[in-house]
Amino acid sequence: MKILSMSGFIPEHISDTIRFTQYGGDRNISNYCGYASDFISRVMADDTIDGAVYPKSCDSTRILTSYLSECNKFLFQFGIPPYNVSGAKEHLACEIKAYKEAVEAHYGVRIDDIKERAEFINKRNEALRKTYEELDSLSYSDYMEKLHEMLEKPLAMQEWSGDIRKREKTGKRVYVVGSFLSDTRLAKIIEDASLTVAGDDLPESGRLVYSEPVETEGDIYLNIAGSILSMRPSPTQVSFKKTMDHDFESIRKKDVRGIIFLTQKYCEPYDYLYSVFSKEADKAGIPAVQIKVNGTEDTGKAALALEAFADMI
Amino acid sequence: MDTVIGIKTRLMREYYRYFSKYAKGKVPEEPVAWVTAFTPVEILKALGISYYYPESYAAVIAASEKEQEYIKESEKRNLSRDCCSYSCCFNGSLLLEEGPRGVPPKPDVLIATNNQCNTLPAWWNTLADEYDVPLIVLDYPGESCDRAEAASYVKKQHEMLTEAMEKLSGRRLDEEELLRLVNNSERSVEAWNLLISNLKTKDISPTTLFDDINFLITARCNEDTAKLYDMMDKECGTLEDADPLSIPVFWLGYPLWYHADRYLKELMDGLRITGSNYITWWSLDYSGEDVYEKLFNAYNYTFLNLLQKSRDKRLHKLIEDSGAKGAIVLHNKSCKCDFVSARNVGLPQAELDTDMIDREYLNLEKAKLQIELLKETICRG
Repeated sequence: MKILSMSGFIPEHISDTIRFTQYGGDRNISNYCGYASDFISRVMADDTIDGAVYPKSCDSTRILTSYLSECNKFLFQFGIPPYNVSGAKEHLACEIKAYKEAVEAHYGVRIDDIKERAEFINKRNEALRKTYEELDSLSYSDYMEKLHEMLEKPLAMQEWSGDIRKREKTGKRVYVVGSFLSDTRLAKIIEDASLTVAGDDLPESGRLVYSEPVETEGDIYLNIAGSILSMRPSPTQVSFKKTMDHDFESIRKKDVRGIIFLTQKYCEPYDYLYSVFSKEADKAGIPAVQIKVNGTEDTGKAALALEAFADMI
Repeated sequence: MDTVIGIKTRLMREYYRYFSKYAKGKVPEEPVAWVTAFTPVEILKALGISYYYPESYAAVIAASEKEQEYIKESEKRNLSRDCCSYSCCFNGSLLLEEGPRGVPPKPDVLIATNNQCNTLPAWWNTLADEYDVPLIVLDYPGESCDRAEAASYVKKQHEMLTEAMEKLSGRRLDEEELLRLVNNSERSVEAWNLLISNLKTKDISPTTLFDDINFLITARCNEDTAKLYDMMDKECGTLEDADPLSIPVFWLGYPLWYHADRYLKELMDGLRITGSNYITWWSLDYSGEDVYEKLFNAYNYTFLNLLQKSRDKRLHKLIEDSGAKGAIVLHNKSCKCDFVSARNVGLPQAELDTDMIDREYLNLEKAKLQIELLKETICRG
């Protein structure tokens, strides 16, 4: 079972998935998110992948099934409820159960270890949180690389050692906002510009570590749904106010001097968020820079932009 | 006695009366909601809440040739041009506090649905930030989950919306009144469907239909709307038959709101539009045992909220009914959800890169060649 997954909303509690990071696909859909388009390329072209699971959380992901339907692989799409919608937890729980049943039916397996997996994830996330809380004294690039490496492995192999290279703090403390950091070279570029990442709200990092642990007593599907929905809201859950409340609370606590907003080109949830986020940052007197990349293997003009940004702050 | 022009004027006057250009400082007595195009407005109307459609107004702005100025203004405030042009255009108009009919009355509540795309709720968040008013987002799962589960989930949200609107309006919902309004919407859809069926055989201008679907969007639960479409349908009976020598084509995508004809009439010599999917998007199915089931069916299964298989089925039927021999397909920069509508159409196509608001996305020379090629392909075939 080699299911490629996209997004932090996919419940790892059900089955192993390989978290999609990057792929040098040649598919190019105009005005379409490069991350989604590289995901399509990998599912279509990589014979080692036999399935895909992804959310319906933005306009690019909404139509993924239409593009992937020709590949004859296992496909499952999760509808992600907007933040605080009435009945969201129950609805997501139904989807999680349907996902489990779909995996069982397609792969001819019986899934009966959800509770054990949930316990493992709870422990892993706790370990991650400890590392995250010391982020400003660690190498952000080393942290991100190890994190991605881990997320690509089967769950049983996702022991988090927290063994991350130490790094001297600089006075230029920044907070990183954005979608999945597909190209970890960007983290290195941030460090090379003498910036210290004090916190982030990336789906694989700051958002994941602060999700509530899954209760293993009671309805496990409801509990998993509750844990997923307890993460800091992503802009795809369309409550920018809540998203920003969380971010600016962290920004204040972590005493940062600048905000790096990392997004994919044609990623409309983050494009819309940036238009209000930058206003809030202005009000707070914290400079923000937006770095847009094209696809999963692109660092764009990040080095130049971040160098200039570092000089400014 | 009512006439087509008379009803249109009445509906327009009613809709625009509180826009700043006409309001003369007056503000609506009833609460104001800004809604997305597939919001269950019957609930709002039943509670006496006025509602306005930013998307429709963006179309009006583009038709008045002001969209570039407003899009640039939005860009200055960090709203990327990559975003939906409806939002860039409308938000720019708000920032400058101007527009062909002024600006709409300020909202007391914002309501966004995701049954056409996920962009609208994100856009609505920018409006919520600007006006600091409550934002209600309604989640429609479409066909992605079991029907009974979807129905119960959507019903809960419709009930929650009702409760919130009752608080806002200080009224209690009268379910009979809601049912009456839903029936009005159903009648409007029936009358509209009859009207657009003339496109295949009669010499009717697609521009009229692209423009007049606006009443189905903004006033679908108003009794006047069905009356208007019935009268227009009768008028169609007096029109000449369409030129049998012209080549029937299907217009697959949005109207080009900035274009005087709303489609590329100047490039379509010898071709005739006999069908369009856009003009069927609000042909909502209000069937159901009770009012909440009717609302669920109508708003959960909108065209852009369907899976590819269902879209294909619906499109095949539309194309077959239109008798089209080719399709002009618009790859609309602002609507990713519509990118895949034409995937399995099985007709010769001219696929044009466009935007429904921002005229700069269309390369007219290239489009001309593509349409010529389409014509040749159809003629040879």
